[in-house]
Amino acid sequence: MNKRNRACETGLIKSLAIAASLALIPASQASAGVSDKDILNDAKTTGDVVSYGMGTQGQRYSTLTKINDKNVSKLVPAFSFSFGGEKQRGQEAQPLVANGKIFVTASYSRVYAMDSKTGEEIWQYDHRLPEGILPCCDVVNRGGALYENLFIFGTLDAKLVALDQDTGKVVWKEKIDDFKAGYSSTAAPMIVKGKVITGVSGGEFGIIGRVEARDAKTGKLVWVRPTVEGHMGMLNGKDNGISGKTNATWPGDLWKTGGAATWAGGTYDPQVDLIFYGTGNPAPWNAHLRPGDNLYSTSTVAIDPDTGKIKWHYQFTPNDGWDYDGVNETVSFNSGGKKLAGHADRNGFFYVLDRTNGKLVNAFPFVNQIDWAKGVDLKTGRPIETGVRAGDPAKSADGKKGSQIFVAPSFLGGKNWMPMAYSQITGLFYVPSNEWGMDLWNEPVTYKKGAAYLGAGFTIKPLNDDYIGALRAFDPITGKKVWEVKNKAPLWGGVMATAGNLVFTGTPEGYLKAFDAKTGKELWKFQTGSGVVGCPITWEEDGEQFIAVPSGWGGAVPLWGGDVAKSVKYLNQGGSLWVFKLAK
Amino acid sequence: MNKFQHTFIFALYVSCFNFCFATSQVDPLDSPSWESMHSKILNNEPVIFDDRVQISMPDFAEDPMNVPVSVQVNNLENIEEIVIFADLNPIQKVLSFQPFHIKPYLSFRIKVEQSTPVRAAVRTSDGSWHVGGSWLEAAGGGCTAPSQGRAAGNWHETLMNVSSRSWIKNELGRVRFRIMHPMDTGLADGIPEFYLEYFDVVDAGGSVLAKITTYQPISENPVFTLDINKEILKPINLLGVDNNGNRLNAQIEN
Repeated sequence: MNKRNRACETGLIKSLAIAASLALIPASQASAGVSDKDILNDAKTTGDVVSYGMGTQGQRYSTLTKINDKNVSKLVPAFSFSFGGEKQRGQEAQPLVANGKIFVTASYSRVYAMDSKTGEEIWQYDHRLPEGILPCCDVVNRGGALYENLFIFGTLDAKLVALDQDTGKVVWKEKIDDFKAGYSSTAAPMIVKGKVITGVSGGEFGIIGRVEARDAKTGKLVWVRPTVEGHMGMLNGKDNGISGKTNATWPGDLWKTGGAATWAGGTYDPQVDLIFYGTGNPAPWNAHLRPGDNLYSTSTVAIDPDTGKIKWHYQFTPNDGWDYDGVNETVSFNSGGKKLAGHADRNGFFYVLDRTNGKLVNAFPFVNQIDWAKGVDLKTGRPIETGVRAGDPAKSADGKKGSQIFVAPSFLGGKNWMPMAYSQITGLFYVPSNEWGMDLWNEPVTYKKGAAYLGAGFTIKPLNDDYIGALRAFDPITGKKVWEVKNKAPLWGGVMATAGNLVFTGTPEGYLKAFDAKTGKELWKFQTGSGVVGCPITWEEDGEQFIAVPSGWGGAVPLWGGDVAKSVKYLNQGGSLWVFKLAK
Repeated sequence: MNKFQHTFIFALYVSCFNFCFATSQVDPLDSPSWESMHSKILNNEPVIFDDRVQISMPDFAEDPMNVPVSVQVNNLENIEEIVIFADLNPIQKVLSFQPFHIKPYLSFRIKVEQSTPVRAAVRTSDGSWHVGGSWLEAAGGGCTAPSQGRAAGNWHETLMNVSSRSWIKNELGRVRFRIMHPMDTGLADGIPEFYLEYFDVVDAGGSVLAKITTYQPISENPVFTLDINKEILKPINLLGVDNNGNRLNAQIEN
């Protein structure tokens, strides 16, 4: 009478009314919950940080002035918190602060909640990961989202987990997709109108990018918007129209494994009521296999948060052949009475878009060398290509390797995932950029589930002997570079601007640094003990202003960096959160 | 076995109304951790050491990762909860069993780190705890070793799968089931705690027959045996969750 029964996740068990009513853990009522209003006002309220981007527009700008260019030299540690364990890998997160607690995610899908003034741990959640996860670029996590009593974050095995802010207990958990097919989740989710908005990682494995909205309280799926042309969207369980038009910009069947991973998260602007989500490279890398623009890869798509429909899109790199993902954040700002958005792309150009309709307003280089295009045509919105594309392997003598090129930027980009900041006082964008190029060639490739789907070989090379990274301040209207600060190792951490005339960012050499927002003069630095590739935040509590940043070297550079990896090999790993305040 | 002598030395009275049983108010196992267990697990509530509460297990843990333990309570009415704990384990609480509509009988397997008392404490509706148990000798190491599923790397393929068997014994339906789960204690290096938190045993009509709250010392791929009245509406369902939010939802057909 032996019988084997499968768990409900496989769907083989008859549905039971009692199963539906099984709540995991009753939601606790101890904290004043984080509301939609709190999230929309996040950029203006100084007592908390309740969204990734320090406001859904993603400006990473604080109006706080207690710490300013006059006194920042007196900044000292308030506490340091260790993530512990042996799992010290890249710490790319942006922390969140609400109701006297700091929440921060760490490598290997871990979450910590601590007292925001003392750093004493309240709880931690260690997600149990299966052995076969397929993250492309280190086992990072970039942060969570707060909503009511929940802390919601994505895991490396492509799950979305909602924890109780007071206890760390799982309140709900949903599977995003199959980690064995290459899906994972590393970006911070975003809350828009009670929905939690997420994307997917796995662009190097031929997955299909998509943006999803779930009821933030329950995890129930509301809409799905694929970011590859030809795939059907969903709203409330019903078909909601195909993205684009099948085969309009993709040949044959390649759109079925078309990539365009939505791996770096999005922003939301309530003034135009649109979600701006970046999309990654089309798959495979070898562009000769997929003639056409390959929508909606390497683009920003503007999505209606209520319906999940694409309102407009802007594609940065049509028919991308260099792995120039378009995932970098699109930051809303207003200038001269216009509703604009700024975006510093992997391809080396800074774009200013009219965020009401996606029309190009301005485009200029933010790195010194761009080989693949001479510029961007402001009339058509399309790049003026130079013809520097890796050759078609099918046309080579042995059919195994196409002609090789050297091209800048490298596929790690003029700027990668690390978010820039925009100061409402200076009107400047502060862009963490890198100067590097790559040798690139194409190889034949066929899709296999769960295997890398590149069809290309590459090696990255620095362009200068003395530096790779450069923090640069740009006027988005004129395209003028106002200042720059060079850094030996590539910059890989987020930037923050404050009304105290300060810009903060971290370096792989271990420093958190503060610069004069107008001149770029270095005013303060602190050695955190490991590379800083996380995102700084600031808030005010009991009359004091605090600054926090995760420390822990890692991310894609040491894994993919070619010659660059050699120059950063003496940077040691770590895993901690540092919090600073002014000495009394 | 001189630890057991205390049971008889300190027995305060012997009562023989319907059945004879011995009770005491001093720990018959003379455990160094009894006071701490009394406050931490039993909230310093009134305790009677009571041999109507019986634990059966081997004298020596051949395999400290898998020690079979049975709990049986005889002739004690108004049972609200049965808590199992091992005084000298790094994580003492093993499980809590609330037999709403089934016999107060349960067997399972546990991990032990060293020789320890293993006890069952039965709370009755008058608010007192009736405690029984004995010493388990062990060579050690059960709680700080990684689960085998971790080593094999395939635990996620079978997670929360249930296999079961049922038969008739003593006029009762006896059911045994295994729930696939690594039950990691969090004490092995680099492996976070990952364990089943609780499950309800529910009949086909939706009434909860029993609730079993499980903790890290339960063995990997836990096996439970319960006695269920033959009249119970079949099939029986197991509904629960682990500390990562993975759900157990399985049907035992018999």
